[in-house]
Amino acid sequence: MKKAIYYLNQFFGQIGGEEKADYRPDIQEGVFGPGMLLKNWLEPDIEVTHTVVCGDNYFGSKKDEAVEIILDLLENKTFDVFIAGPAFMAGRYGFACGEICKAVKETFNVPVLTSMNVENPAVEMYRKDIYIFSGGRSAATMRKDVPTMADFITRLLAGEETLSAREEGYFPMGIRGETFVKPPKMGADRAVEMLLQKLNDDEYETEIPIPKIDKVPIAPPLADLNKETVALVTSGGIVPEGNPDGIQSASATKWGKYDITGQGELKAGEWETIHAGFDPSAANENPNVVVPLDAMRHFENEGKIGRLYHFLYTTVGTGTSQAEASRMGNEIANELLEANVSAIVLTST
Amino acid sequence: MRLEIGNFHIQDVDFGETTVFENGLLTINKDEALRVVYEDDRITDADIVIARPNDPIRITPVKDAVEPRCKVSGGELYPGLTNNLVPAGTGRTHVLKGGCVLAVGKHWGGFQDGLVDMSGPGSYQTMFSYLLNICLVADTNEDDENHEQQKKNTALRLAAIRLSEYLGECIRDMEPDGLEVYDLPSPNELEDRVKELPRVVYVLQLQSQMIENGYNSLVYGWDARNMLPTLMHPNELLDGAVVSGSFMPSSSKISTYQHVNNETVKRLMREHGVTINFLGVIVSNLNVALEEKQRSAMRIKQIASSLGAEGAIVCEEGYGNPDTDFILAISEFEDAGIKTVGITNEATGRDGRSQPLVDLSIKANALISTGNVSQILKLDPMEVVVGELESLTRDGNSGGWDGSIKADGSIEMENNGIFCADANTGNHFKTVVEY
Amino acid sequence: MQMANIVTIAKTVGANRIVQTVSIPHPLGDPNLTEEEQWNLRRHRVGVALDGLMQEIEEPSIFDVTI
Repeated sequence: MKKAIYYLNQFFGQIGGEEKADYRPDIQEGVFGPGMLLKNWLEPDIEVTHTVVCGDNYFGSKKDEAVEIILDLLENKTFDVFIAGPAFMAGRYGFACGEICKAVKETFNVPVLTSMNVENPAVEMYRKDIYIFSGGRSAATMRKDVPTMADFITRLLAGEETLSAREEGYFPMGIRGETFVKPPKMGADRAVEMLLQKLNDDEYETEIPIPKIDKVPIAPPLADLNKETVALVTSGGIVPEGNPDGIQSASATKWGKYDITGQGELKAGEWETIHAGFDPSAANENPNVVVPLDAMRHFENEGKIGRLYHFLYTTVGTGTSQAEASRMGNEIANELLEANVSAIVLTST
Repeated sequence: MRLEIGNFHIQDVDFGETTVFENGLLTINKDEALRVVYEDDRITDADIVIARPNDPIRITPVKDAVEPRCKVSGGELYPGLTNNLVPAGTGRTHVLKGGCVLAVGKHWGGFQDGLVDMSGPGSYQTMFSYLLNICLVADTNEDDENHEQQKKNTALRLAAIRLSEYLGECIRDMEPDGLEVYDLPSPNELEDRVKELPRVVYVLQLQSQMIENGYNSLVYGWDARNMLPTLMHPNELLDGAVVSGSFMPSSSKISTYQHVNNETVKRLMREHGVTINFLGVIVSNLNVALEEKQRSAMRIKQIASSLGAEGAIVCEEGYGNPDTDFILAISEFEDAGIKTVGITNEATGRDGRSQPLVDLSIKANALISTGNVSQILKLDPMEVVVGELESLTRDGNSGGWDGSIKADGSIEMENNGIFCADANTGNHFKTVVEY
Repeated sequence: MQMANIVTIAKTVGANRIVQTVSIPHPLGDPNLTEEEQWNLRRHRVGVALDGLMQEIEEPSIFDVTI
């Protein structure tokens, strides 16, 4: 039988009301309050072995301490899932449920989940990290919200396939993944039917919601470029012949840096592109068409820029996910900042 | 313009004395079939292997898929490529339905080649796991290409077409099980009640990113990179006017099989006269300079506007910079008051948290998702491998990497490398949801 | 400074200073031109990029090139 540990605040954990809100976290065997309901819904597959109780004010005012105490209390326990709440509209309780679930997930690598009302501010704070089921506004919906969570946990721990956030009833975590339309319905039929709905001004739901476009703060201009170090960075896959770092030709997760000291241009045969997303013939014939080292040297000699940084940074930008690209961009930017590089010419293909 | 597709449903395939279709069984005279394959001197070594749904078989590297067909009257198959340049889309075409010729490398794969599992969880990924696959497994003397990540695969792709036509010949003089009739009259011949239905166009954005000939999709044998968007009768597409190219990660590609079986076009044809007035197919491309993208988007919009389109479906063969062509076409349409649905796959990353398309617009408010190219798949070892599994890691397959093949023969790969899995023609039931 | 052909993508991913290049496979060259013409083009566009680093901008901007 799988094991669950349950988290409640002082009120639902039957310690007391607002006057007990400073209650220090502790753990006890068995279940209290809504734990009875949870236990009934989880049996016989999962046993709720322990309940952690913590006062909302204690958690709110001494968050780090509360988390540390609770993680210590859990240290020698065996459990397969950690459940908190429901917290309904309660802001402090919601924050505690979200924070402790996140910490337990990171520390013990077990599934964690809670339930809150859409208007609880903790939903936005934690929904990308943990399962937060969409619950009611008050304890009046306890008998609906707890079984929803229990049903999901049972299937999750049984290794059954779970459905999309909307179908399961938790707030979307921002993770897009493949699935198969059930019953099977081809893309063709979905497309034509969506078009008919759109033509008839009926409601329809796009399968790819367009995310908000990232705004990046605008860097202030440089006053005297002739006193600054400028670096060349490319996503065009220009590497020394032979690709010494084995940067992937698509869906790259690696970047490389290559010393260009003393080189006036990138010579064909010494440099090549390993980017699989475009016809490489022009770039291999003259790599400067992707990384304009010759032009940068020209402006360095002319004194338009103070100095060209002696490393060229390279990766491949085809099939490379935004997450990987951001990580690599951050890593490269940090190195360049440490090297006092103040501007970058980034060429992309 | 009227096209009759006569279907002969195959229950099974086997080898035998003569190539014949009888009582649902397609028998292949292997020697005779291979002679057709060897007509091209570049083919140095060839075999035919049958892979049935639910067999413990993994096939890779797959380069194209072709449906066994025979043009009984009214033209020729794949005009301008393997046959004379004549108009496609009229008369009678016979089809060995449920069968499929796969062009498989005996050794060498590449960026654009794919994998098909005939059973296990990998078999859900692609429509080709559900077909009776007649695998042409061959080696060629295109040695200069062996170690190139980008391969034209010319000899093998053409050989698969020849083999498919050879197989199709055996049903030329037979009576099909059923007839699909595609008949779309010209606008002046439409009945009044049809004229009142919303007018819809379908846009097919073909892969054309390579500058050198031999990689891009072909339209009547012509490299799609070299054309401006053009209006096509749907029957032309369903009868072989467009042939798949050899560029793009495999899951995003549209195979030759899928072009002649484009389910979105077929459904639009069925809806014609019922819910819509289908005006035709605008064939476009996915070139590599912004100006070319803008020019194509302008032409697409103008053709649709001149026809009086009120609705459109746009299909993109690929991802990455082609998302710009896709978003531009949708934006042009929406600006012109043409209500548009787009169908494409997305690149949301292994963790599913990345931006789905590299170019975005709030005007693209009705999209169908056919898959995530970077979805990670862990697939158990398979008893039989047709082709060479090593090609997944060795030859730069877009879904594989060093270490994709485990010691026990199981594999870990991205959906990118599953053969024509995302089926942007709408032929499969895979999608992406938010968790 | 991002130098890219598909400036719509550059804007979508949040680049603020952008110079448009010739095409995806050859951003700062063009096999149809002579070596000298290609060099002039490359020097010009890289020069525009460097100038752009010194310009105050209020919103994401594409700096004009003449060749």
